[in-house]
Amino acid sequence: MKDLQRRLREDGVFVRAVLLAFERDAFLRRIAWRNVWRNGRRTVVVVIAIAVGIAGTVLSMAINFGMVVQMVETAIATDLGHLQIHARGYEDDPGLARRLDDGGRMGIAALDVAENVTAWAPRVRSDGLLTSPRASAGVSVLAIDPEREARITVLADSVTQGAYLDGEKRRILIGEALAERLRVRLGSKVVLSATDVRGDLAGEAFRVRGLFRTPSSELNRSTVYLQLEEAQRLFAMGDAISELAVRTADRDRVVGLQRHLVEELGEGVEVRNWEQLAPLLVYFVDMFDQMAWIVYAAVFIAMAFGIANVMLMSVFERTREIGVITSIGMSGPRVVAMVTWESLFLVGVGLVAGFVLSATGLFLLRDGIDLSRWGEGLNSMGVPSTIVPVVRTKDLVAPTVVAAVTGILAGLWPAVRASRARPAEALRHV
Amino acid sequence: MLELRLAWRNVWRNRRRTGLTVAATVFAVTLVVVFVAMAAGLHEKMIEDAVRLQSGHVAAAGRGYFEERTLDQFLELDQELFDELDGAPGVLGWAPRVISFGLLSKDTDARGVGVLGVDPERESSVTTLAGRLKRGDFVSAEASRGIVLGERLADNLDADLGDVLLLFSQSYSLETAYDLFTVVGVIKFPDITMDRSVAVISLADAQAFFAYEGRASEVAVLAKDADHAAAVAASLRTAIDGDAQVDVRTWDKLMPDLVQFIFIDDAGMYIMLVILVVVVGFGILNTILMSVLERTRELGVLLALGLRPGAVFRLVYVESLLLAGVGLLIGLAIGIPIVLYLQANPIPLGGDLAQATELFGMDPVMTWKLKPMNPIGSCITILGVAALAAFYPALKAARGRPVDALRSV
Amino acid sequence: MRWIRVPLLLLLLGTGIPSAADEFPPLSEGPDATEIARKQENVLRGDSAYMEATMTIESPRLPAPRVVTMRNWDDRRNKRSFVRILAPTKDAGTGFLMKRPNLWMFVPRVERTMRIPPSMMLQSWMGSDFTNDDLVRESSQLDDYDHNLLGVDPAPPGHEGKRAWVVEFLPHEDAPVVWGRIVSWIEQEHYSPLRQEFYDEDGVKLRVFELGDIRESQGRWFPHRWSMQPLDKNGHRTTLEIRTIRFDEIFDDSIFTTRNLKRTER
Repeated sequence: MKDLQRRLREDGVFVRAVLLAFERDAFLRRIAWRNVWRNGRRTVVVVIAIAVGIAGTVLSMAINFGMVVQMVETAIATDLGHLQIHARGYEDDPGLARRLDDGGRMGIAALDVAENVTAWAPRVRSDGLLTSPRASAGVSVLAIDPEREARITVLADSVTQGAYLDGEKRRILIGEALAERLRVRLGSKVVLSATDVRGDLAGEAFRVRGLFRTPSSELNRSTVYLQLEEAQRLFAMGDAISELAVRTADRDRVVGLQRHLVEELGEGVEVRNWEQLAPLLVYFVDMFDQMAWIVYAAVFIAMAFGIANVMLMSVFERTREIGVITSIGMSGPRVVAMVTWESLFLVGVGLVAGFVLSATGLFLLRDGIDLSRWGEGLNSMGVPSTIVPVVRTKDLVAPTVVAAVTGILAGLWPAVRASRARPAEALRHV
Repeated sequence: MLELRLAWRNVWRNRRRTGLTVAATVFAVTLVVVFVAMAAGLHEKMIEDAVRLQSGHVAAAGRGYFEERTLDQFLELDQELFDELDGAPGVLGWAPRVISFGLLSKDTDARGVGVLGVDPERESSVTTLAGRLKRGDFVSAEASRGIVLGERLADNLDADLGDVLLLFSQSYSLETAYDLFTVVGVIKFPDITMDRSVAVISLADAQAFFAYEGRASEVAVLAKDADHAAAVAASLRTAIDGDAQVDVRTWDKLMPDLVQFIFIDDAGMYIMLVILVVVVGFGILNTILMSVLERTRELGVLLALGLRPGAVFRLVYVESLLLAGVGLLIGLAIGIPIVLYLQANPIPLGGDLAQATELFGMDPVMTWKLKPMNPIGSCITILGVAALAAFYPALKAARGRPVDALRSV
Repeated sequence: MRWIRVPLLLLLLGTGIPSAADEFPPLSEGPDATEIARKQENVLRGDSAYMEATMTIESPRLPAPRVVTMRNWDDRRNKRSFVRILAPTKDAGTGFLMKRPNLWMFVPRVERTMRIPPSMMLQSWMGSDFTNDDLVRESSQLDDYDHNLLGVDPAPPGHEGKRAWVVEFLPHEDAPVVWGRIVSWIEQEHYSPLRQEFYDEDGVKLRVFELGDIRESQGRWFPHRWSMQPLDKNGHRTTLEIRTIRFDEIFDDSIFTTRNLKRTER
């Protein structure tokens, strides 16, 4: 017991001495800095270990988060928008019976003055049957204001043949897959039959203006786009609309906007954000995120291992040298302080190199990793086939902290051991 | 041989250095083995759950059925087909189904539904359909005009156990088909659309209802696992012996969405693994380089004593491969039992994740799966990385000039 | 398809026989094509009609054609119609009541009435090539087409010895018609249609609709046999033989009720 107390006391004294030397002794700092560059090879090895570790972690996090971001952004930019406003009851029982009268005027008025709103677009949604001379298919009808829609979704860019809707009458956009099924092509005439708001069956002719391909195979197979006025006429719904889709400047502040709109618009409407509109997507993202953390952890540990290894070895290698230094009179705590400064400098240089390497990697991957080279038709889950890495601040901070702490701790242990060894013993060390 | 003996002795001379290098390798190997097994387990589970939910590993149907899905495409359920199914190697179970659609009504208003006619006993040998029952019973084997509804469908029809529903459709013989069915059970389909629109009746009822005696829309086949699907499909194709009227498909063709999700997930994981292996590879490179630098003097002595540079190169190379090899063996020795344990004892998921997983029709457990390619791939990767990593240090050692080397500390 | 319509109107699928539509030299002068088309339509339609008919469905599914016998009360003026199936035995008594926009069906064996949801309106009716919607849709329209007189054919296929106008129907751009054009042979004497060919916009013939057995009925010369054949589906054909038809009947309101649906003795 006494023995233990004595040792603890001694350790306390030792640590204080190290801290004192570390803090006060500018001379040690200078020597340490010189030592870093005296042994160039060792420095290079340590710096490589840290740089590769940092770059590996940063890149893997960026790629992973990039996948998540892209999944969400794709869904938002393909169809969802950030918010949707419907008439009350639409969620439980979607259909033409739930509609916003007056073209959603109240909602639009609120959106026009609300903060964080960059664009809104009116839509009509219903079901119908699309007939060609040879076949017919059940379809979801989505009627849009082409100009406004272009500010919410990337539909205009998804058109692979022909052109986007531009106000020309009786034009329809259909998916490439649907065109194949109906055996129609650009310019073909199709008839859309649907039940109008009175329950009457209505039919109108359209010509295929453009074929599109989106990341959603569901859209490609069974959604058709019309111009808003034409759908309002077909469904005999006057100037009513089914929904207002909203895009915001800042996705993270969507909930605030949602609350504001609910207050503003009252009981008559439902306001749902993209997370509520696509719960499966959110589940996917959560799942992905959790899996990603396991992988991050692995890369973290691998990085820490690599850094610890070289730091341990580089200090053990110097057992003999440290023995020489202590034997000529440098105190143990000062030796430890010096080695710690060295580790700090090494880690610092390594981190800088790591950031440079990460930045280079991110720059090289700025256009994304194109998975479609390895697999065809990756679209159906709404997963984009090109992954563009996205860096978050916390993904930079975490590896930096882990690398620095590991590097310094791994340098400290052998230094303490060497400094406490009797000089004779240390000198005998190879 | 000399190098091998020398190298082996060198490896054990410096325990600490060896320990560190080996530890890094062990860590990498263990990680790779566990991760790959985790992904394989997850994916296999997704496949198996989907397969057991509905599709089977392999499905046989009349030619054109998979595109058209009408009563026009059918399989003749004759003894010949039964023999072929029973005789095909790798077939663990098979279940014939009649699939069509109809109008279902409790009162006046009717709803369009998908009608699934199944043989309950056979169906259980392939899918877990009957196990998803929320209340009541599953359909019985004989024609008894019992109907099992998806939960949301039952809600929408305002129907419950004991209610008598009118099912109306068109039979194969183009006659109006209608009959009264009693709700015997309510089932929970994980897929919302199915839950809203599928009604299950017995195969015998379906055949009578649709004038489809002796016929089925498709036969779902269960194989040992997804990896055996292609072989089973091939043996089935052989068994039916080029019958142009039968189309045999494997699960990946039946569920392309799933294949794509797995591909994306795999791609993400392999990108991560590549980064992990690069990080670990540099760790190995660093430790070997350090050990070479540390031994500059010693290697210089060897060169001074007349050992040829080639021999020194080989010595260092063999040493690092030995290090990696030892690490590899220990890594596999740790990783494989972990995976085998997890494979035998899946980890149950809790909370939100469990709920969400059930949405997809999956059991809320996390499973692992050790495939032979996993340890083999790990060996090749790690040895390959070690071989690459050792190249530069070995070259450096062989290139050292004895005089300089001896002068170094 | 909607442009042609008889009491029990039908959507038809066609099969084809080579057409010679393009071979007729245009007449330098002659009757107005639209006038011919109007007269043709007048032959086929009336404000109301009672009809007894047999529908024969041929399909590769069937070893022998399926024959359905029915009665139909069609009150076009009030947009309502009633159908009772008489044969085959299995379907006898089944009734359909159409009152736009609704369609009810009654099945006698289980004594239930069911309203067919709008989403199912485009499904096949009674296994034929007609859809439920064809039963309730309003007749269309001379107005959906432009008409050109292609010429005179002294011997239209199946009607040797008769002279027929060959009129081309070109749908208006915004008409809800998928066809590129329809070529119709119209008998010169009574303006009864004899044959119609349906083309897609690429000029591929997809359906042939043939009419025959033109007899006088209540002073009208009316085709009593209609036959539709889709050319892209082998072995399909739906033929309607009208055994009795009475035009311009006055119907009692009680016919078009769900209660009447259940009165199977009718």
